[in-house]
Amino acid sequence: MTRLSELPTLRIDPYEELRFEYDGRPLTGVAGDSVATAMFASGVRVFSRSLKYHRPRGLYSLDGECANAMMAVDGVPNAAAETTPLAAGMRVGPQNVRGSADHDRLGFLDMFDWAMPAGFYYRLMHKPAAMWPIAAEQIRKMAGLGEMEPDHRTVGRYTETYLNAEVCVVGGGPAGMRAALAAAQYGARVVLLERRPWLGGSFEHRLRSLDDGTPAYQRARDLAAAVKAADNIRVFARTALIGTYNDNLITAVQRGANGDDFDERYVEIRAASIVVATGCIERPLLFENNERPGVMQIGCAHRLAHTYGLLPGRTAVFSVGSDGGLECAADLADHGVAITCVADCRPEGHDPELVEALRQRNVPFLAGWVATAAHGRKKVRGVSLTALDGTGTRDDSCDVLVASAGRTPLAGPVTMAQGKLAYDSHTGCFLPASLPARLHVAGRLTGLEDPAAIETSGHGAGLAAAADCGRAVETELRECDERLGQLPGPAAGSGLVRSPTHGRKAFVCFDEDATVKNVRQAIDQGFDVPELIKRFASVGTGPGQGGLPGHNLPMLVAELRGMPPESASPTTMRAPMVPVSMATLAGSSHDMCKRTPVHDSQKLPGAIMRRIGAWRRVRYFSDDLLCRAEVRNVRTNVGMLDGSSLGKFRLWGPDALNALQRIYVSDMAKLRPGRVKYSAMCNDDGCVVDDGIVIKRADNEYYLTTSSGRAGQTVEWFRYHTRYDGWDFKMVNLTDALGVINLSGPNARTVLERVADARVSNDAFPFSGYREFTLLGRVPARVMRLGFVGELSYELHVPSSYMRAVWDGVAAAGTDLGIANFGVEAQNIMRMEKGHLIVGSESEQRTTLNDLGLGFLWSRNKPEARTVGSVALAQTLEQPDRLKLVGFRMDDPEHTPRDGSIVVDERIRGWVCVARNSDALSQAVGMALVDEPLSGEGTTLQIYEDGCGGNLATARVVPMPFYDPGGARIRM
Amino acid sequence: MSFLITCPTCGPRKGYEFRYGGEDKGPRPDEAGLTPEEWVEYVHMNRCVAGVSKEWWFHRDGCSAWFTIWRDTRTNLQVQVSNDGPEEQS
Repeated sequence: MTRLSELPTLRIDPYEELRFEYDGRPLTGVAGDSVATAMFASGVRVFSRSLKYHRPRGLYSLDGECANAMMAVDGVPNAAAETTPLAAGMRVGPQNVRGSADHDRLGFLDMFDWAMPAGFYYRLMHKPAAMWPIAAEQIRKMAGLGEMEPDHRTVGRYTETYLNAEVCVVGGGPAGMRAALAAAQYGARVVLLERRPWLGGSFEHRLRSLDDGTPAYQRARDLAAAVKAADNIRVFARTALIGTYNDNLITAVQRGANGDDFDERYVEIRAASIVVATGCIERPLLFENNERPGVMQIGCAHRLAHTYGLLPGRTAVFSVGSDGGLECAADLADHGVAITCVADCRPEGHDPELVEALRQRNVPFLAGWVATAAHGRKKVRGVSLTALDGTGTRDDSCDVLVASAGRTPLAGPVTMAQGKLAYDSHTGCFLPASLPARLHVAGRLTGLEDPAAIETSGHGAGLAAAADCGRAVETELRECDERLGQLPGPAAGSGLVRSPTHGRKAFVCFDEDATVKNVRQAIDQGFDVPELIKRFASVGTGPGQGGLPGHNLPMLVAELRGMPPESASPTTMRAPMVPVSMATLAGSSHDMCKRTPVHDSQKLPGAIMRRIGAWRRVRYFSDDLLCRAEVRNVRTNVGMLDGSSLGKFRLWGPDALNALQRIYVSDMAKLRPGRVKYSAMCNDDGCVVDDGIVIKRADNEYYLTTSSGRAGQTVEWFRYHTRYDGWDFKMVNLTDALGVINLSGPNARTVLERVADARVSNDAFPFSGYREFTLLGRVPARVMRLGFVGELSYELHVPSSYMRAVWDGVAAAGTDLGIANFGVEAQNIMRMEKGHLIVGSESEQRTTLNDLGLGFLWSRNKPEARTVGSVALAQTLEQPDRLKLVGFRMDDPEHTPRDGSIVVDERIRGWVCVARNSDALSQAVGMALVDEPLSGEGTTLQIYEDGCGGNLATARVVPMPFYDPGGARIRM
Repeated sequence: MSFLITCPTCGPRKGYEFRYGGEDKGPRPDEAGLTPEEWVEYVHMNRCVAGVSKEWWFHRDGCSAWFTIWRDTRTNLQVQVSNDGPEEQS
């Protein structure tokens, strides 16, 4: 197809060809094309098939406002071909077709619309109930948008950026650019968002001269140059708004261009003030077959010619409701399109200059006429028109029907920020009626059409935004308002929604194949308001996000129900305003994890690291997932574990003890220096949230540890539960400041003696003791003697900066003994053998201290402390039928059920928390939470595992601990 | 959570930085003679007003302070409370 190559408005280079592939055929476009315009230039007219009826659909808006031009591009479905720039080598294919878009074997479905009334899938396919799964599968096969391969991986650079701006202007048309310039002139930092690749809005493609003789497109380019030259305006082109939120938060999605370091990115802006200058889209005229390929909006026809150099067809009929339609018709006539006639549903109020322009070009102008039906099977071949006053009808043949009922302000950004709209009978539009604080509107969004008024309103909005940022603009703002008052106000528009037509195929929503008839059916079934009809008849729930039917649905409902137009209110707009790919929302992947001070020394050959909470830690030091060598070395010799992720806190001040008494279930008044105290924290339901060690270092000076996963919330927890008390205590999270080495095994003391500058004999440093001394002659350490893994065991807490030296020193001191690292899983096995629990592994949200058998920790003698959990613990003490923690031994010592397997009889009776094949015991043992009646010693548990095929494993409840029940080894 | 919260220490910050701590229900009741009903009422029951609610927030990604604000649950905006009653803060 030859292109108009001399127009000054073109955005293409007609001489630089780009080859691509459509449905297996090689096609050619040019640089600057979108995928859709390149296809149009190559003769493609049927772009897709519709959702339900598989009707042919063509180019309609050029701005991606409906699903008509959604394509699979390079394997990615649902790409908006109208807004996707063409690139050489692209592979493009149609969606929702059997065969091709031109010849779709499901095209016959269009004849069965009577079988698919509004909401048919809710109502018709549920009786009998067994029918629904079959029906659902068939519907999914026949209806829908693109398909994605299950193993599809999106390739590309997807990032995000968080901007800080004083003023954010949404929309880069004349009003938006003037707003940005006005705010910038007062020194405000401005971000300007524009969804198209270039600035200019409604001026951008138009040749018509403004009042001062400058062509509109030239004015747009002059303004764009001024915006570009302003230092404090940042322009984000190809950036579509996703949503506006409270306190002036804006989210958007930007498509990358040549030279950008992203393909698509998420943009988030918090601005002191917002100017919304999003302009208008066109609203579809409702008539029979109003979506036949060849029926297109004014802007689509106009921009095809002026932006892309493509004539929309040879013979055109116009049925429009705004001056823009007359201007487009005159322009297309100049470019050589035969304009059969221009029908305008407005009986009067046309721009006389444009009417004269049509007369000069011998184009018949029919005021008060409207299209009633488009004819032709796959493409428009003709159109029927009627006079609205009933004085006549006519039929014309054509291959393009430019149809539009008027304009719809794009007010979504206003209403999402809690602004309100009201129907305005003068313009026939829903216009912003009340605005949230620090949000301003300008341009065609407010109903203006006069170019000077559009620009002046933008200037004023920019000044108001500057005022929000504390700039003194009063004088200029007053002058601007006066000037705006002298310019033409909002232009009159037609209230017509539906042409007088009686067919079944006048579409309110193209994306969801919803017709006027469907809306009527919904009303007949009792749905009375647009919000309900929208859901029942799926009007505006497709990829276009309700933009095109946003005006027509409420007006049509009002008309069909005999209500005045002023009573109508549009359905709620919600983010996302445009479809956003999941890859963009996922953004770049930042796996931010914490590393212990000796992270590198843990990365031994064969070590398997895992993300454990916020940390990356070594789970296994070999590929033996039972960790037999690691466990054996600890049980018979000595091992060391990097426990630096343990939560560690300093708590001090006059009310420190009060805080401890409030948070811990035990009586912390009984703490003695030099001893550790194990205790637990519950929530107000008596359920365990954490356990750990508390040490009293001096009066009003405490050191405490928490589990790794809980460390981040501990200060918050203490402060929350003491928030009304006004207590004087302070808390510091030392988790990252101190590293921890767990030194365990019968030879642990021998190793410690070699590095400690203190006596550590069993008498000098007994079990449950706490000591502070130096290691290696200089490193201060806090050392506690514990027994989590069931052996003689020391925990060395040392400053992180010295951690590496201490680690290496301890390792060197034990080399001759055969000291070796052990990992998190070895520790897990050993503590399980010892019957020690981990909160979150052997407990869940509902597990109380009593359920775990830890009731002995709870002190009932401190009611004045109002301990968190104490009330619920007392009240649930005798509660029957709770899940209790038990130890079990598998009947088959070779079989270990997976963690999380369920305990069953006739029903689910509990679940396996942890179970391992114990090398030390030559048994398979574990812990489970089971219904109280099953918790008695000797009870047989039946365990169901995924994939067991009904063969239940059996286990017997046995006392814990499994290993060293007398505890001699931890005291040796 | 798109709204801003004014932390008494740090000033206005993004809502994402904070954790919600529930409605302001006053200090913990005395344990003596407390019935399960009264306890559940205190711990779990909320007024859930459609209007201005006084509630606790924690500045998790900031100064680690618990503090109360007044928030209009209908607009999800923080309101400032003066002697004349709540007014929207914007």
